[in-house]
Amino acid sequence: MQPGARRRVALIANCLLNQNAKVCEGAHYRGLVSPVVQALRSRGYVLQQLPCPELAFAGARRWWAVYEQYDTPVYRAHCRRLAQAIAPLIEGYVRRGDEVILIGLDGSPSSGVRFTSSKPDWGGRPNRPEDDWEIVPRRGIWIEELEAELARRGLPTLPATGWALDMGRFDEAGSRRDLEEFLDLREATTGTGDDPPP
Amino acid sequence: MSADARGWRIALLPDALVNPREAPRSTLPDVLTLLEAGGYGVLQLPPPGEHGLLLAAIADQVAEFAHHGYALAAVGVRGEPSGGLHWRRLAPLLRRRGVALPLRHLMRPGDDAAAEGQRLAAFLSSVELPVEEQRRWRV
Repeated sequence: MQPGARRRVALIANCLLNQNAKVCEGAHYRGLVSPVVQALRSRGYVLQQLPCPELAFAGARRWWAVYEQYDTPVYRAHCRRLAQAIAPLIEGYVRRGDEVILIGLDGSPSSGVRFTSSKPDWGGRPNRPEDDWEIVPRRGIWIEELEAELARRGLPTLPATGWALDMGRFDEAGSRRDLEEFLDLREATTGTGDDPPP
Repeated sequence: MSADARGWRIALLPDALVNPREAPRSTLPDVLTLLEAGGYGVLQLPPPGEHGLLLAAIADQVAEFAHHGYALAAVGVRGEPSGGLHWRRLAPLLRRRGVALPLRHLMRPGDDAAAEGQRLAAFLSSVELPVEEQRRWRV
């Protein structure tokens, strides 16, 4: 890459590089989510991992939860603090003219982009043996707060999609197709880029 | 949901090794590939610069993992300040959170990427918790 050349930068949900951040039974890979890493690297994207808001807030041994359970003032304040921690890096990419995209985790109450998980009556004893939450088309709490922080800094809304890991039944092939279509569309929209992969 | 596949191993990794094309490192093996083969997840450190809030957030995550049965390693690279690991800032943050500092390995860009890869693979396979700690948490 030539110094100063416009780069492609992918902001990626923490657990796409580290499945250990997932709730118990939520990890589908040992560590890296390799289809996502491969798809992005093969197109020349720089990877920028986002912090995991749930891990530092509710812990490594947290219960499963839905959007409504995390939709509290204190959790939103925690997400805003994390957004303020990572936003200077993102702002630097955008201000220098890099193409920046966001890859979240669809179905996640925090990192969902196209979809999040919802069940307004969840609460109390964690005794839900069936996957009875619903998938609804909206951002997760963390993505909402991150986008709000970027907007406060006067940055444009980033093109975004989600890897559909938390949708109830994980379909890797379908998720890969979705992601590649999104990336191909970005390529068609923004040109071929000035730094083709090796 | 299916059975959980997590590897219980995490590597702190400099931005320069997550994104090696940022600075040509053709004399190094692809570290992400080796970490994946070793079953490691990654916590990415930011590029050089002042990142106090972000390093504190990363330290919080490391502490949560360290206190709940995860094996932690740090892989730096020669030629970057602190190996790219922000160690002067990160180590005190970890100590304040009661975290034993992760074992560190330094990649050495040179003529023999394959040998560097073998050195890293040997290091990665050596990082593990005592069996009793594994039994305590990994059920």
